[in-house]
Order: sequence, then C-alpha cells, then structure tokens
Amino acid sequence: MDQLLEQARTIWEGEIDFEGQKLAELLTYAILSISGVIAFLAGYLTQNIYNTLYIGLGGTALTFLIVVPPWPFFNQHPQPWLPSKSSGQAWQGISIEVDGKQVS
Amino acid sequence: MHNTLTRIQNVFGFFTSVAFAVACAVAVSVFLHPQAPQASLELRNIQVVKGRPHYYSTKREEYAHVKFDLDADLTSLFSWNTKQIFLYVTASYPSSKNPTTTPPSESVIWDAIIPSDYSPFHPNTYIHPTTKNTKKANKKPSKRDRAASKPYPAGGSPGIVKLESQKPKYQITDVSGKIAERENATLTLHWNVQPWVGALWWTNTKTYGLWQGREGGAAKFDFPPLKGTEVKKEDLKTETGGERNRGSPA
Repeated sequence: MDQLLEQARTIWEGEIDFEGQKLAELLTYAILSISGVIAFLAGYLTQNIYNTLYIGLGGTALTFLIVVPPWPFFNQHPQPWLPSKSSGQAWQGISIEVDGKQVS
Repeated sequence: MHNTLTRIQNVFGFFTSVAFAVACAVAVSVFLHPQAPQASLELRNIQVVKGRPHYYSTKREEYAHVKFDLDADLTSLFSWNTKQIFLYVTASYPSSKNPTTTPPSESVIWDAIIPSDYSPFHPNTYIHPTTKNTKKANKKPSKRDRAASKPYPAGGSPGIVKLESQKPKYQITDVSGKIAERENATLTLHWNVQPWVGALWWTNTKTYGLWQGREGGAAKFDFPPLKGTEVKKEDLKTETGGERNRGSPA
C-alpha cells in the first residue's frame, strides 16, 4: 500500500532534474513566443482573426503537452546523492565546500 | 519548474502575457488598413404630425417622421479586426436661439447592426431589404429565409447599403413637444466600428494617416409645418426590417 501511494505521489508531483528544469523553461518561452508570432502573421495574411485565435490556442496546448508531463528527456541528468554517513567509508575522496570553507 | 504544478503555472502565466501581446498587436494593426468611407444621404420626405408618446398617454406631442435615401459604401471599415459596425442616422437641430452656448439636439431616426462575414449569426443584426419580390416581402419571412438573408444587397459585401425611401425606425420629438417648423436641421450618417479586440472607433470626418474621413453622408433640411389632425402618428408606419428583439437588448 505504501509503495503504491509512493508511486502515485511520484506521478502526481512529476519532478524533473535541474538540467530538465532549465530546458522546460526554455521550451515554454520559445514555443509560446513563436506560436504567438505565427498566430498573428497567419491571421493577418489570411485576413481572418479566427486563424490567430486557433493557432494561438493550439500553440498553447502544444506547450502544455510538451512541458507539463515529466517526459524522460527532462530526467537525463539525475543529481547523484552523497553516500550516507553511517556506511563508514562515506566521505573518502569527496570534498564538500560550503561558502568557500572545507567542511569535510 | 521542478514539479508538474509549477510547470502548469509557469506555462499558463506566460500564455497570458503572449495572448495580451498578440491582442495589442491586432488592435494596433487596424491602422495599416486604409479607410475611405463614402455615403450619400438624402432626405426623401418628412411629415410632422400630432401623436401621443404611448397608448394611454393624455399628452399630445409633435412627432417628425423622416424618410430618407441612403447609398453608402463602407466596405473599407471592415478590416480583419472588425466584428461589426453599428450604423445610425441622426437628425440634429439647434435646440435654442443661441447655438453658440447650447449644443444642438440630436435624435436617432434609424439604425442597423452590420456584421462582418466572419461574425456568427445573431438575430439582431440587420437584414438588407431586397428590391425584387416586394409582394413576397409582405409575408412574414420563415426562419430559413432569415438565416439566408444578408446585411447587404445581393452581390455586395458588408458595408454596402442601398436604401430608397427608407422608413424611419423611430419617430422623433423634442423635449418641448414642439418640432414643427424648426430650421437648420441636419440629417447625418454615423457609425461605430466594433472590433474583435481593441478600441471602438467612432465616425471620423478628418484624415488620420491611412484613414480618410467620411465623404458625404450629411443633408440639410427644415422641419415642415404641422400636418393638422387628419394624420396621426400611429398611422405613419415605422420599419424594423427582419431584426428581432426591438427595444430589448440581447
């Protein structure tokens, strides 16, 4: 039961890694801006404002589809966790700096 | 952007910004569309008669019944951002002996909503009268006829209006109840251009950039003397065409 809830939580939250977040933000701005420009031009050239409306809404739907679900390409650079302290050999070969000070 | 909810919020937030920017661009783009509205408006016939404002009224007032000819080409008012134009004819006359201090009185005698070809059907929009089949026109048009009828004459496009001896929609009177024998009156064509997005533009008479002012569309006249008591206001017919919901806005 707990495992099931855990899975449900993962799907609901849909977390992505840092590189993925950068990419998602770039995609949001790029696709929405470009679809806005295309919508205006298509409507103006065909002299029909319905083209502007539907291309604009279509571009937005596409952006939602690409950016919102946690697609695999947003999780290509998972952040490695530090090994736990209790496992003895933990901190060997790893140096951690906080604000320029050596912590371990 | 780390989880689904944040991404939904970010995408929607930026979508509103893009939608606003595109709407602004559309609103400004109408300045690139040249306008050259032309109209010829002439008084056909005018009668001033006695009448009462409504059936149970004991008040008796003078009412003017103005018939006019209108031949207008307003097709250039329809740009890609025009939803419809509201067209109306006013009669204006000096309201006092001193026109420099008191503005003239102005009353609407006829109006019409002329939609663009892309506007969805609405029963309150104007139906242009046809010159042919005048006998048939006396019959009440069926629903299918009404849906097929256009706001412009056959072979025209939105903005073309050709009316001959058009009856008014509204008979007009003055606050004082006296309208006979007033002088220096003017019959004028006005309009509002109602856009899909952006500003509502009123009639202009000057040239601004690509927009030329209205050419023609005004006629001088004087109100005639009262026509005795043999003709009553109720006997002079007004006309609303095929539009529905007269007097009750949609």
